[in-house]
Amino acid sequence: MLQSKYLVISAALLLTGAAGCTKLKESYSTTVPINQAVSSLGPAFPGLLLTSAYNDIPGAFVGQDEVFSLEENSTDESLVPTRGGDWDDNGVWRVIHNHTWNADHGQVLNVYNNLNKLNFDATNVLQFNPSKAQAAEARFLRAVSLYYLLDLYGQFPFRNPGDNLLLAPKVYSGDSAVLFIINELTTVLPDLNTKNTLTRATPDAANTLLMKLYLNRGAFNNRITPTFADADMQQVITLGNQIINSGKYQYMANFFDNFSNANGSSTEGIFAYPSSSGLAVNNPGMHARWMMGFHYNEYDGQAPNAGWNGFSTISDFYNSFSVGGTTNYSLNDTLLDTRIGRRVTSNRQTTAASGIRPGFLVGQQYDQNGVALKDRKGNPLAFDPNIAANMIETGSNLEVTGIRVPKYVPDFSDASGKYYSANPGNWLMMMRYPDVVLMVAEAMMRQASPNNVGALTLVNGLRLARGAKPMIAPLVLANSANVDDPNTLLAERGRELYYESVRRTDLVRFGVFNVLWQYKPSDDPKYLVYPVPNQALALNPNLKQNPGY
Amino acid sequence: MTIQRMLAKAAPFLLLCVLFTLTAFSQTKTITGKILDDKGAPIQGATITARGTKAGASTGADGVYHITVPSTATTLVVSSVGFTQQEITIGAQTSIDVSLVASTSNLNEVVVIGYGTSRRKDLTGSLTTVSAKEFNTGVITSPDQLLQNKVSGLEIVNNSGQPGSATTIKIRGNSSIRGTGNPLYVVDGVQLDGRNARPSVNLGTGGFGPTPDANPLLYINPYDIQDITILKDASSTAIYGSRGANGVIVITTKKASAGPVKLDAGISLGSNVGYMKKFDALTTSQYRGALHKYSLDTITVNPLDKGSSSNAMDKITQHNLITNYSLAVSGGNENGKFRASLLASHTPGFIKTNNLDKYIGTFAGSYKFLDKRLTIDFSLIAGHTNEQIVLASNTAGSQGNLISAALQWNPTSPFTDANGRYIDLKNGVVNPLALLQGYNDVAHVNTYLGYIAATYRIIPGLDYKFLYSINQSDGTRNTNIDGFLQGVSPITGAGFGVISGASLTSQVIDHTLNYSTNLTPDLSFSALGGFEYIKTNFSNNSFSGLGFNFNLDQANLLNAQYTDILGNALTTFPASTFKDITTELQSYFARANFNYKDKYYLTGTFRADGSSKFGSNNKYGYFPSVGVKWNIANEDFLKDNTVFSGLGLRGTWGITGSQDFPAGSAIDQFSFGTFNSNSQTNVGNPALKWEQTTQFDFGLDFSFLNSRLFGSVDYYNKNTTNILFQTTVIQPGPPANEWLNLPGHLINNGVEFTIGAAIINKKDLTWDISYNMAYNHNLLKDFYAAGSKNALTINTGQINGQGVSGTLGQIITNNQPVDEFYLKSFGGFDQKGGQIIGANPTYAGNPNPKTLYGASTTVRYKKVTLTVNGGGSGGFLIYNNTATSVTNLSGILQGRNVDKKAVDSKEQPSSGVGASQRFLESGNFFKLRNANLSYNIGNIGTYIKNANVYVSGSNLFVITKFSGFDPEVNIDKQQAGYPSRSIEYIPYPTPRSIQVGLNFSL
Repeated sequence: MLQSKYLVISAALLLTGAAGCTKLKESYSTTVPINQAVSSLGPAFPGLLLTSAYNDIPGAFVGQDEVFSLEENSTDESLVPTRGGDWDDNGVWRVIHNHTWNADHGQVLNVYNNLNKLNFDATNVLQFNPSKAQAAEARFLRAVSLYYLLDLYGQFPFRNPGDNLLLAPKVYSGDSAVLFIINELTTVLPDLNTKNTLTRATPDAANTLLMKLYLNRGAFNNRITPTFADADMQQVITLGNQIINSGKYQYMANFFDNFSNANGSSTEGIFAYPSSSGLAVNNPGMHARWMMGFHYNEYDGQAPNAGWNGFSTISDFYNSFSVGGTTNYSLNDTLLDTRIGRRVTSNRQTTAASGIRPGFLVGQQYDQNGVALKDRKGNPLAFDPNIAANMIETGSNLEVTGIRVPKYVPDFSDASGKYYSANPGNWLMMMRYPDVVLMVAEAMMRQASPNNVGALTLVNGLRLARGAKPMIAPLVLANSANVDDPNTLLAERGRELYYESVRRTDLVRFGVFNVLWQYKPSDDPKYLVYPVPNQALALNPNLKQNPGY
Repeated sequence: MTIQRMLAKAAPFLLLCVLFTLTAFSQTKTITGKILDDKGAPIQGATITARGTKAGASTGADGVYHITVPSTATTLVVSSVGFTQQEITIGAQTSIDVSLVASTSNLNEVVVIGYGTSRRKDLTGSLTTVSAKEFNTGVITSPDQLLQNKVSGLEIVNNSGQPGSATTIKIRGNSSIRGTGNPLYVVDGVQLDGRNARPSVNLGTGGFGPTPDANPLLYINPYDIQDITILKDASSTAIYGSRGANGVIVITTKKASAGPVKLDAGISLGSNVGYMKKFDALTTSQYRGALHKYSLDTITVNPLDKGSSSNAMDKITQHNLITNYSLAVSGGNENGKFRASLLASHTPGFIKTNNLDKYIGTFAGSYKFLDKRLTIDFSLIAGHTNEQIVLASNTAGSQGNLISAALQWNPTSPFTDANGRYIDLKNGVVNPLALLQGYNDVAHVNTYLGYIAATYRIIPGLDYKFLYSINQSDGTRNTNIDGFLQGVSPITGAGFGVISGASLTSQVIDHTLNYSTNLTPDLSFSALGGFEYIKTNFSNNSFSGLGFNFNLDQANLLNAQYTDILGNALTTFPASTFKDITTELQSYFARANFNYKDKYYLTGTFRADGSSKFGSNNKYGYFPSVGVKWNIANEDFLKDNTVFSGLGLRGTWGITGSQDFPAGSAIDQFSFGTFNSNSQTNVGNPALKWEQTTQFDFGLDFSFLNSRLFGSVDYYNKNTTNILFQTTVIQPGPPANEWLNLPGHLINNGVEFTIGAAIINKKDLTWDISYNMAYNHNLLKDFYAAGSKNALTINTGQINGQGVSGTLGQIITNNQPVDEFYLKSFGGFDQKGGQIIGANPTYAGNPNPKTLYGASTTVRYKKVTLTVNGGGSGGFLIYNNTATSVTNLSGILQGRNVDKKAVDSKEQPSSGVGASQRFLESGNFFKLRNANLSYNIGNIGTYIKNANVYVSGSNLFVITKFSGFDPEVNIDKQQAGYPSRSIEYIPYPTPRSIQVGLNFSL
């Protein structure tokens, strides 16, 4: 009996055990595991990956708190005052403008991660057997990412396709970093399709980026005292003249057509990220570029409390438009536009419905019927250039301080007017022809034997197109005592390229980034480059924190 | 298996229950009698069995039983929940009356443990069973509410005052820095997934954020629950292996007892009568005073004083009738029993339009075949919930939350103009009444939980059991925000609709062998061995549109919702569909128990878990535990003592795990994106494994004076290591996070104490009290990145609202408790009345309660019984995010209502908004959860038996210094999956409610 009992038990145990033994498999639906991706998506796979790399551009470049913030708020072109209950956000905006940020700053981290996402997704294309043209585009996009990483952080991490992502990648810094990117771009140039439109990599876009690298090489290698090698300047001039002489690009008759919802057809565009009015799919949300400055009541008829009432510029920068000392801003000076060129205020309203003219908003604001707008307390909605010294507004006019800068033209193309700006059709302009012209002019002035006359000709050609009076010789690069001296090449770059995420790079290259300006009472050379975010530093021992942080 | 097929399988048993109603034995005799308690009252549902035979019976409401036993039977065993078991020798008599002694300590009670049962006195582990009669009463919408403050070391926090919302549950402290940290639920032996299929909606537009989650146990009928057991120490939980680290909650539903078919019915009516506690915003006159104080009453253009008087917080509440109807039919005999029940409940929330309807049906049975060697058990729960959700989102910004709209509403403004149109004050505050009408959010969830089990007695003492179970839940949710709402860009003038759906399927297959025998007359042995397979699928989807042609004007509204005609939208957003990776868990487990003379006990368990989620280097995890117990009271030297009626020492050790990370984390994955793109979205870690908790526990159980005073003390230490950590991939990499296990230690240690006493125990008067208390200390140690000595920091705890975007108020880091508050200091106000806020955040206090306590007392005088349950928490802080950014003083400049505390301070309206330690408040509280007064009518006429009427009140009062709605609060403020703790932000307020009810049997 006992024996049979144990027999039964062991039989039962065996039965129980045999019931088991399934292979533990995860079955995938929404996502594809790497081994299946290669086999099931086949030759289409690298193309899909390349689209992803392009789609990474808005993540890093569109939002007001991304590359834009680090390149603009840290300069004389932009700041975000705290207004009572709004825009304190633990001081994140103020420390960028007054140069007191640290390595824990959220924007410093997010920008690093978003640029590296582009870096990674572009590299990943190369892992899966792309065509020559696809590989060239991917390496161009990666070069864009590496350029901005180098510009902002002074170094960039780099992985070869297929590297183990759990291991820390190597890091490039200094001149080897510059040369690496130059070499990448030079290598892929022959494979880039000249027929690509401005939303894809073209030889012109690659050359423009090359110009930026040659021009900034001296500054990237020594931000405290940049030096400019003649050979690099010759490269800038040669590459720039190729683009200028190609005849493919012309100045637009209306400056603001470069930033409207039809700017995809701008003859100044070299590289851009597209968008379609009213279409939510892949819409990068360019409305941030105007909403961030608009007062809450600016759209009263359509969407109350719509504006975010944040970003402003400083009066000294605004005054740098008045070449020759013709005038300073005045709330009543309506003639200012024509005297200083039409890069300040557009001569047309965005729609019949809104009454808003893009450019710089100073003084009393009006609706579409010419009725003066009021702020939320019922006072006149008149933007006051004077901002509190510590950028913390507490007075009764806290809603209206600061000049607002809607350089991108609000898109009200929906006839019903319901969507105001939720899904605008404005394209993000990443590279524009006037930058090429101004870079050539600058390189001419920085040559071993400067060609200041040639530079002035190029600058005044641009000014003529903008309806501004010509500048008078001698043209100088910058005024090391006053960043906003109007009579400099630096000021001309500001007047043309303001709010296009180039100002910080310019100020560093012109050696004036540490000069004091409004609402920045002190500075330190360590701020010439951003710190490597602490989080990234903890993960990758190959990164070296920048001096001073 | 589909539900239809499940039902098809269940159908034959419906027939069987008819067939088995009559059975006869040869050579038998019938014994009848009455089972009474020590006061002479009949005991209903007492079980009578004849030892060594298959005979059994139970008593009806009158306490009478009839049992037919073989003539060879010698002993009757009489037992009933709450009474000491008695054995009576059967002589020649055919009538045996038995008087049972109430057993307050329930040592002989059989409790459900993992994959089996045990006598309470044989347990080596630490667990607590709460039976139905001890449950909290009042308006109960989900089973976890039954337990609040009932079990030492068990913390249950309602995440929202909305009926049916999810709760935060911690057993013995916060033992995970990831995920919900909620325990594993087991219902009648079936492990649940823990998620639910009510789609979560993150509107992400117009300032509308995600709304609180639904409770995953909503489909369990609280009236069907017989008891709930909380498994706390590793000896009890290790049998659940890689899912047991956060503790296990075992729910056992009511089963029929043999006897005539009976019907139990209950009806209750109730209402939310008011706020348990109000948030102190300004009244109309106080508001006028404040306008004067800050010279804001002199504004003539668009004055802030609107000349009227209103109270938005009153206006958004309702006191509609809450109704509950429950019905259960059960019956059968020793060979076949069934129970069917039905619950229909209608629970209007305290906030207008909010409502939860539940319809739950269950059918369960147990039938014996083959000379009772084969037992078939089955159960099917079918639950339908219909929820009308209000806009009380967790992380809304400046607008997009009904409670914030009501708190901020200018108390001098009417809500509507002369034409009945909602007034738009154009100050960033949406009209709360417009929001009530313009926001329509309805979720339907259908859930089925079915199982069928076959138990075969191979030889006496050896049972084989097979169990198959399926849990299927499908939910749809239609969310509409009408375009007539003013001041909600971009929805104003456009309208927004979302249709979302979710589906969850989880299947369990178990094979178990149970064996018990006496190895020697003094040494008994029992063992369990088993195999389990669990498979889970989850998917969801959502479709949304913006810009409709109707419901854009308050004066012209259609009955239709946008989600009825989604195609009308001018902009339809890309459909979002997601199917989770199917996961499989395959396990082998075993348990062995030795009992020597009822004095020395040894229990050992072991489980091997293989999970498809684990990395290829770690497919299997192993989870052992041991427990010993010395039952001192049974030693000879204590045999004759009259003081102790029970005394036992326990010690246990074991390892459990948590696999609370997403499926697929171990593998590189690519995802499709819009515009024909594809990119890598996950970096796989093949070394990924479970988080491991090692726990030891020492316990002392005691009872004095014939068990009239009893209790237990436990000391435990939990050490969680291989901490699951989600780190940013080393750049350059995809935006995903990489999962890894960190070698740090998350320590929870503490002491638990329970005491109960039957202070008065007379025929007409009884008075029982019970009290439990737990102290827990939570600390994260050695929290470094792999191979480094730099402390890791995880910032979490989103502080939301205008002016504090991107602020995180809590930190998870080395040598601090999980979610330590990390905020800038507050140094009062400067001369201009601005806040003086420190430059950098500092460690500012612990959001995890150090002490939890609960108390309960029952007084019965004749047929009247009063039960009062209460409890609270202490030693923790709450961050008042509502005061920071919703009712902050600067709002008065825009004509918003503000916090009275701010007006009473030296702050000026020009002061900025900022998160700081100013808004940290002590969370200590005591809450009177419920009081229940009942009158036992007894039998009425011929048919109605055991009638009972009661009146009950819930959340009657709270004693606290916290200035928000409810100190028992945990709004979900997670950051990147790292949970937050104890942050209040414009929550759905907790109502005080009353209820009257009647129960009876037929």
